[in-house]
Amino acid sequence: MTYVFQFGIVFDRFPELLEGALLTIRLAAMALVLGLIVAVTCAYLRMSGPKPLRVLVGAYVEGIRNTPFLVQLYIIFFSLPGMGIRMDANQAALVGMVINFGAYATEIVRAGVQSVPAGQIEVGLALGLKRLQIYRFIVLFPAIKAVFPALASQFILLLLGSSVVSAISANELTAIANTLQSTTFRAFEVYIVVTLMYLAIAVAFRGLFAALYWCVFVRGRER
Amino acid sequence: MTTKLRFLVAAGAALFALAIGVQTAGAQALDRILKDKKIRITAEVTSPPFGILDKDNKPTGSEIETARQLAKDLGVELELVQVTGPQRIPALQSDRADLAISSLSITTERAKSVWFSSPHGALSIVIGAGKNVNIKSAADLAGKKIGMTRATLEEQVVPKVAPPGTNIVFFDEHSATQQALLSGQVDAIGGAAFLINELAKRNPDKGIESKFTVMTAFYGIAVKPGNYDLLQWVNTWVFVNKQNGVLAKIYKEHTGVDLVDLPAL
Repeated sequence: MTYVFQFGIVFDRFPELLEGALLTIRLAAMALVLGLIVAVTCAYLRMSGPKPLRVLVGAYVEGIRNTPFLVQLYIIFFSLPGMGIRMDANQAALVGMVINFGAYATEIVRAGVQSVPAGQIEVGLALGLKRLQIYRFIVLFPAIKAVFPALASQFILLLLGSSVVSAISANELTAIANTLQSTTFRAFEVYIVVTLMYLAIAVAFRGLFAALYWCVFVRGRER
Repeated sequence: MTTKLRFLVAAGAALFALAIGVQTAGAQALDRILKDKKIRITAEVTSPPFGILDKDNKPTGSEIETARQLAKDLGVELELVQVTGPQRIPALQSDRADLAISSLSITTERAKSVWFSSPHGALSIVIGAGKNVNIKSAADLAGKKIGMTRATLEEQVVPKVAPPGTNIVFFDEHSATQQALLSGQVDAIGGAAFLINELAKRNPDKGIESKFTVMTAFYGIAVKPGNYDLLQWVNTWVFVNKQNGVLAKIYKEHTGVDLVDLPAL
C-alpha cells in the first residue's frame, strides 16, 4: 500500500498550529526569564545562604531534577487545587516550566560560580565589598559567561520539553497537533509539519543566544 | 438472432452457476462451525468493561461473556482470538475469526468491509458533572469548561452539539480527563455513560451525575462479507437474547448501567 500525503488539510488549519507555536514560544521565553531569576537566587542561597535555606534549596533542586516533569505538572494541575491553589492549564504549565528549568539552571549557574577563581573573590573582599555585592558585581558575570552554552542547551531542552504540557490541556503546539491528528487522521502530515516548526523555533532561539553571547560577552571586550 | 439468444442463455447459466457457487460458499460457514464444533470469536481484552483480563489473566467483560453465551447457544466450543482494536476487522478478513464481538460500532464506513448483525449493545456518550453544576441540555454548555479525551467518540460528537462559547479542552488520557473533573479544573466532562457512572461510584463525595446524553452509538456482531447463513443465525440469536433479557443482563453486570432499547438493523 502506498501512502498518499495530503498536506492540504494541515495547511488549511495552519493558523491554529501557528497560534499553538506562539504559545509554545511565549511559555518558553517567560519560563526562561523567570527560571533564570530563580536559578541565580537559588545558586547564591545554595552556596552562601544560611544553613536551613541551603538545605531547602538543595532539596528543591534534587527533588525536581530526580522526578519526571509530567508528574510535576500533574501535581501542580491536579493536586494543588485540593489545597486551594487553582491555576488554569496554561498558568500551571508556566509554573511547572519555571520550577523545572529553575532547578536545572540553579546547578548550571552554581557550576559557573564555582569556576570563578578564588583570587577574584578575595580581591572583592580586599576592596571591602559585602558578600552579595561580590556575587552581583564580581562573580555573576564571568560565571554566566562560563556556563552560557550549557544554559542555552538547557533552555532548548525546556522548549522541546514543553510539548509535554499538552497532557494537562494547555493548548500549545503539540496539543494543537494532537487534536488535529485525531480529527483529521493525517498523523504523518501533522507531525511532520509540527516537527519542522519545532526545529525552526529551536534554531531561531539558538541563533538568538549566539547573538546575545556575542553582544554581551564578546563585543568590546576583546583583549 | 440465434447467436444473441444463445449468448443470453449462456450468460444466464453462468450467472446462475456463480450464484450457486456463492450460495454454497456462504452456506459453508455455519455448517463448518457446526461440523468442527468450534467457533472462533475475536476478543479485545484491553477495552474495559467490554473486554478485560480478570485477576487470573482470563478474558472477561460484556463482549467476552456475550461470545461465551453465543457459543453455548450454538452448542459449540469457543475459541477466543485475541485482537487489538485496529485488528478487529482484519481478523475477519484474514479468516482468523468467524465473528467479531468486540464492541464494534456500526458505521457505514465499516459496513464496506464487514457485514453487521442487528446491534446487541450500545454505548452512550453523556456529559457528566457535579450535582451543583447547572447543565440540562447542550445549550447550557455555553460558558462552561468541558474536558474530554482525544481520539474518542466524545471528541467527535460533543463539539458538534456544543454552542458557541463552550470552552472545550482536551487531555491525552481518560484518567487525566477524569482527574480534571475531580480537581475542579473543568466544569464537566464528556465520556461514555459507564465511565461517568464508574467515576461517580468511586467518588461519592463529588456527587457526579450524567447530565444528558449527547448520542448513542450501537455496536453489533460482524461477519466476513458473504457469510449469509452465519449472519442469519447471529441475527436470530441477537433477536432471541434481546427479547429474553440475556443481553441486557450481561451488559448491566459488566458496565453498571442499563442497556438502552436496541433497534434492529
